[in-house]
Formats: sequence, structure tokens, C-alpha cells
Amino acid sequence: MTVNARAPLSALKSHLSAACAAATLLLAANAAQAADLNALIWCDHSDPALLEPFEKANNVKVNVKEFEGTGAGLAIVDQSQPGDWDVMVIDSIDVPRGVEKGLFEPLPEDKLPLADLFPEVKMDKSTVVDGKRYGITEKFGYNTIGFNKTKVDPADMQSLASLTSDKYKGKVAIYDYYLPVIGMAALAIGKKTADLTEADLPALKAELLKMKANAKLVGEVTASQTALATGEVDILVGGGEWVTAGLAKENPALDFSIPKEGAVLWSQSLAMFKDSKNKDMALKFIQYIMSPEGQARLATSSCYWGMPSNTKATLTDEQKKILRFDEQPGFLARAQAYPAPNADLDKKMQDMWTEMLQAQ
Amino acid sequence: MASTDSNLRALPWALVTPALAWTLLFFALPFIAMGFSSLTAHEGGGFTLANYSQFFTDPSYWRAMVNSLEVTGTVTVISILLAYPFAWILAEMVPERWQRLALMLAVLPFWTSYVVRSYSWLLVLAQNGVINRSLTGIGLIGEPLQLANTRFATVTGFVHFFVMLLTLTIFANLKQLSPSYRKAAADLGAGPIRTFLHVVLPLTLPGIMVGAFLTFVLCIGDYITPQILGGNNELVMPQLVMMQIGRRGDFPLASALSIILMAVVTIAYLACARWLKIERA
Amino acid sequence: MRAVVRLAAWVYAIAVYGFIFLPVVVLVLFSLQATSFPIPPFTGPSLRWYQAVLTDARLTSALVNSLLVAVLSSLASVTLGFLSAWGFARFVLPGSAILRGLITLPLTVSYLIIGMGLLVLFNWAGVPKSLLAAGIGHVVINLPLCFAIIYSQMGDHQINIERAARDLGAPEWKVLLMITVPVMAPAIFASFFLSMTFSWDEFVISFLLTRFETTLPVEIWNLLRSGLNPKTNAVGSLVFAVSIVLVVFFELTLLRRKPA
Repeated sequence: MTVNARAPLSALKSHLSAACAAATLLLAANAAQAADLNALIWCDHSDPALLEPFEKANNVKVNVKEFEGTGAGLAIVDQSQPGDWDVMVIDSIDVPRGVEKGLFEPLPEDKLPLADLFPEVKMDKSTVVDGKRYGITEKFGYNTIGFNKTKVDPADMQSLASLTSDKYKGKVAIYDYYLPVIGMAALAIGKKTADLTEADLPALKAELLKMKANAKLVGEVTASQTALATGEVDILVGGGEWVTAGLAKENPALDFSIPKEGAVLWSQSLAMFKDSKNKDMALKFIQYIMSPEGQARLATSSCYWGMPSNTKATLTDEQKKILRFDEQPGFLARAQAYPAPNADLDKKMQDMWTEMLQAQ
Repeated sequence: MASTDSNLRALPWALVTPALAWTLLFFALPFIAMGFSSLTAHEGGGFTLANYSQFFTDPSYWRAMVNSLEVTGTVTVISILLAYPFAWILAEMVPERWQRLALMLAVLPFWTSYVVRSYSWLLVLAQNGVINRSLTGIGLIGEPLQLANTRFATVTGFVHFFVMLLTLTIFANLKQLSPSYRKAAADLGAGPIRTFLHVVLPLTLPGIMVGAFLTFVLCIGDYITPQILGGNNELVMPQLVMMQIGRRGDFPLASALSIILMAVVTIAYLACARWLKIERA
Repeated sequence: MRAVVRLAAWVYAIAVYGFIFLPVVVLVLFSLQATSFPIPPFTGPSLRWYQAVLTDARLTSALVNSLLVAVLSSLASVTLGFLSAWGFARFVLPGSAILRGLITLPLTVSYLIIGMGLLVLFNWAGVPKSLLAAGIGHVVINLPLCFAIIYSQMGDHQINIERAARDLGAPEWKVLLMITVPVMAPAIFASFFLSMTFSWDEFVISFLLTRFETTLPVEIWNLLRSGLNPKTNAVGSLVFAVSIVLVVFFELTLLRRKPA
């Protein structure tokens, strides 16, 4: 094979100059983050339909990093430097964990529409610590039973017992988030989520293993939604309007129920970081999300739908119907919050979850 | 021949130091950091062996290693069995001038994104996916098969990639074989099967072993395919490691698990070492 | 008998090609899906998802990032690999075998572990996550490959040409640039190409070491977290199309350079 001595050399030279240009571009790109708003969020906040109006109105770029589960979010914060983040979406029940770690800044109550919120989701017990408010609930929903009403008997869906019955073996998926599903297991064995202790773990494990035996897969948001939507499974444990509402237009067979034993209430709050370099913009962002228009966009955002915490959210009648807006007071009465274990019990619960995943 | 001119004595070190420095700083040092981290407690930070003991005493953690080894072993064997004939056909039966194209054609699909390709497999294997629909459509089966979210799906996703990899290594080995070996065997009266078994196969063993080793290392450390296709019905080691980082920020435990995984791969490497020729002759 | 064997062989080859192409065909097919889910039934060809991809700023910037990281890290890997391969091949260095083993050692370590190690190290040293961090990780995985490929190709026939050049009075750097590099061009090119391939589609290291500005595989993963949609199929198909174009281009240019 003949070799052309000049071609590789000139190619090398042009590669080098391209590399230098690219390197400067790279460094420049990394440096341009200072004036932006950095938000640590659940995936429903990355919808451009939600962010763009805010970005345009305030001439700012909102950088988002998604996570699932408070443990994961706090792990990201652990791996970051102070000042890296401005705003965080965190489960209302976990706000005290962030406060304990010294992460959050108190929010000015007078600047937020607290009076307009559904009273049951304000969750002051968690969002207010030592008299100061650190989080404000922005969206809520239920981890309950999501199902395809043309494939299962809706009457069965009124009880959690159907999740472990043989009738639906292999047609069930479990949402891969240990806290609410353990909460549902607690409800199924007649315990309150707020009262769980280490002594309850064996009974909970037994219930979880029964659920797993019935399940085809354990999946996070995407996998669960897909499995239910594509007919891979007919029931989703831990599903709720957050799975079914967004798909309602394309797949009206999907629905959710609040069984007689109750459902687990998920509620997410917005919190501001103490080390944030952009506190004014962070507050503006929180105010935008809590405003009626922001609430409507958040409630119907592309990753998953949910109930806006602000009763004045500007939803259309059709959207309200899909979310069962008017039935909420009844639902809320039967719902219980996520379990809020201390660090030790939390680790044991996570280990129990791993055991469940590995069970054959 | 070595250059002994004093001006030039520094040159070889100047040439190799950058690569060595990079390896030490960004490969060896992180290992030391991980080693230290694995011996610290997550809450509190004192010295502890708890991270390692958790692996050896907790059955669901131990199970992950068993799953990893089973899956990887299965994938390696199946991939070799499927790839060898394919490599043979490409090297021996395809005309010379089309061989590079045929090879490129086999590699091309892997230029789609790995993540998206894995999801595509999920859809292909789904209840209502292409495979089930075709099988029920032509009447081979009555009920759709449970293919996705199982070990079968994970193995299929892996085999898909590693058949290609092994084809490449075996093909390269086959091409390197001098035809005189086979001619000699034929002259000595050996038929095609005997020639293959006693001459060609042993000579292509390096190609198989290199490919098998790469398959082993890449497969046992892969997170995406089991995560997407396995349905969390059983966990392998990489998933366990990512869980510790992702859900709990538990670096010490993640480090310990990584080191254990490394140890297993090292044992495999040592077992293969007599087949791999890293030394210059 | 021979004909039956040949037929069986062709059937087998076609079956393997079919297996290899199956997910890709499904991928491309459902990138043209009209409705929101990339699953059967196929609802007629529509280009809406390609449009969505090209207007998605995050995806397009992730694509650019992937290219940047791939090119830069591959250049670094090839340069470091080539220089050290030449150093070890041309000169006798003490502990050469051990040092060479050290450089090739990362080949035996899973990307997950390399990424994790760097994450732990950077976290402890206060180095923030970034594309640069991911790029560093990519050099770690590609350097041993480049070194191994180039080193294995350094043969005795080059020694003679180089010695001739030295005897004629050429300084070392000239020998390197004007003799060695051109002769090693195929190996250099092959390792660059291979490094680009591995870096371009690499997920775990990029996932662990980047924050906002991220590479395409990580961005696709993020996209998939918000629900399966044909946009990812469209991205996969676009990448596929680009690679086909590149391969055809290289085939034509390489074929032209071959003597008749």
C-alpha cells in the first residue's frame, strides 16, 4: 500500500488547529453558567412549555438537572459545590432533611400565595421548621393503583388486596420508588404510614414480596408509564394520575382509583438553596411556579401530570376533569403522606427494597 | 538499537512520560481514592470494613454478583457460538473485494446510539412488539411470549452487540492465517473438517480469547442493557453500584462494590493472561 | 453436498445480518410514527419527530458536545498513545514491560469503575463536574487502545527507514514527523477512528461526570426519563444516517487512494 507522506501531515495540522478552536469553545461553554438559574428538579419541570415563558419574561436561562427520589436529589447536592444550585424540587415530607443539612433558605411567606392552596397539602408540619418556612407545596397527587379499565375489573381496583391476588399475576408493574410503595404496603396491612417503625419491617417485607411475585417488572417513571401504556402490564402499583392523566388523550382506557384502604399522597415542594448566588431570581421562579398560570402549566407538564396545589390554577375544564379536580377533597381525606423514616430506618427500608428487587 | 547519545537519553522518557502521567493521575490515583473511600463509613466517616462485609453477608448483594457472572458467562458463550461461523463466512466465502463492505455493514447498526438501541430492543421484545406480533400473526403461538423485562431480554441485548465484536476479532485472526498451514494439512491428507478442528481452530484461538475477554469485561461492567431490558427483576453488579450513587450518595459502599467487581475481572484476566500476548515477542 | 453447505452458510449469514439490523430497522421505522408512542401499530409516516429533534436546543447542543468531547479526547489519546508507543518501541527503557502493562491496564477495567474512580477523586479534590471531566475519562479509556494498536504495528521495517534517515543527518523530530507518522498513518487513523467511536457513544462516564452541558447519550437518557417518545428514535436514526454518509465518504476516498 503506497503511502502519501504529505496528506497525513497536513491532515494532522488541520486537526490541531480545529482542536485548538474547539478547546476554546469548550472552555467558554463551561464558563457561561454564572448568571443562569440552576434548578434540581423532578422531570415535570423540564417541559419547555413551563420554562420558556419564565425565561423570556426574566431574560434568564434555567438549567435543569433531573432526578427521581429525594435520596437521589440529595446525593447530587452532596456531589456538588456550594452555590452550584439555586432551587430544588423536593418532596414536601423531605424538606426537614434538607433543612437538617443546612441546605435551604427560609422563604418569605408574604410573597407567596399561601392562602390559595389546598389546605391539606400545605403540609406545614414538614415545610415549616422552627417557625420558618423552607418549602412551599407546588404540586401533588397519589401513588395508588393505575390501571387499564378495559383489561381489569374496576371493582377489584377499589381494594389493595387485588394487587397480591392471583387473578392479576404477571399483569402488574411496580413503580420503582421505595417510599410510596412501602407506604402502600403499610396501608394494605392496615398500618399508618406516619407510624412505621423497625418492628413493622418484617410484615412490610412479606407484603412487598407478595407484590413482587405478582409483578412483571419494577420500573421508574418512564418504564412504568410505557409498560402500562403499551399493554405490557395492566396495573401499576404506585401509579396514579401522574401516569394516566398525561396519556388520557391518546389512551382513554387508562385510569386510577383511590382504594378503600387509602392511597399515598405525594406532594412536591419548591425550596431555595442557602448558598444560591441568585436568590432574587430563585424567588421569582418560585413565585412564577406558584402563580395561577405557572400552576396550570406545571399541572399538565409533559413528564407527568398532577394536581396543582393552588386552587386558582388556570386549568381548562377538560384538564380539570382528567385530574378529577372536584373530587380532590374526598381523595385527600383518604390519603396518607409518604413514610418519613430517620436515616437508620431509611437505610433498612432501602435494603429491604433491594431484597425485594432480587427476589425470584 | 538503543541510542546512547546523551542528548537523546532524555528523549524516550519525554515521549512516554505524558501517557504514564495521565494513567497514573487519572487511572491509578482514582483507584487509591476509591480504596480509601471504600474503607470509610458513609455516616460519620471513620474507618470501617462494613462496606465489604455488607457485600459478603447480605444475600441480595451477593446475588448481584452471581447474576452478573451467570449473565456474562451465558452472553460470552452464545456470542462466540454465533460469531464464529459468521466470521468464517465473511473471511472465507465472501469475495475479497466485498469483505470490507460486508464487515462495515455488520458494524454499521452499532452507530445508532446505544441507549436508543436498547430501548428499541425493549419495544421489539414487548408484548405488543414486532416479535410477538409476527409470531402470533403467523399462528406459531397463541399467547404473546413474556420476552421483555427478563434475563432473556438482557442476554439478547448483550449478544446483539458482542456477536459483532467477536466477529471482528475472529475475522481479523482468520485473515492473518497464512494459507500455507491449510495447504500443508491438505497435502498431508487431512479433510476439511480435520483441517478445521486441528489446524484452523487452534490458530484462531487468540482471536476468540481476545474477543471473549473483551466481552467479559464490557458485559460485566455494563449498566444500560440490564437496566433497560431487565425490568429490575434481578439486579447485576453495575445496577447495584449505580443505586448506591444515585439513590443514596453512598460513595463508600459504591467504591467497595466497584473494587470487588474489579477483583473478579482481574481474576478473569489472569486466567486469560497466558492466551493474550501483550508482551512484544 | 458442497452446494447445500454453501446455501446453509448464506442463510445463516443473512439470518445474522437480520438479527443485527432488527432493532435498527424498528428504530428507524418508528421514528416516522405519527402518534406519540414508538410501538406497533405503525401510524403512517410523519416527519414531526425529526422536526422536534432539530428544534430541540438541548438535543442539538448535546450533539455538538458529543462531537467536541469525542474529537478532543481522541486527539489527546492518539497523541499520547503514539508518542509513548514510539518511545517504547524505539528505545530500551528500564521496566519497559511493567510500564507498558500499566498503560494498557485500563483496558481491563469497566467504564463504570473508571467513571466512579474519577467521580470519587474529583469530588474529594473539589473539581466540578463538566464536559472536561468527562473528556478526561474518555482519554483514560481510549489511551490504552491507541497505545496497543500503534505499538503492535511498529515493525522492524520501519527501523531501517528511520535509521537511514538518521544516518542521512535528519534530527529526531524530523524522523518522527516525516517518516514515522506517515508510515504509521493507518494505525494512527484506525486508533483515532476507534477512539471517536467509543467516546461518541459512551454513556456511564459522561453520565457520572457531567452536570448541565452533557453529551448526546446522556441527553437521550434524560429524554427517555420523561417518557418513551419517537424523538429519541429520530435522534438515533439521524446519527445512523450521518454515520452511513461518513462510511460511504471514507469508502470512496480510501478506494480512490488505492492503486489500481
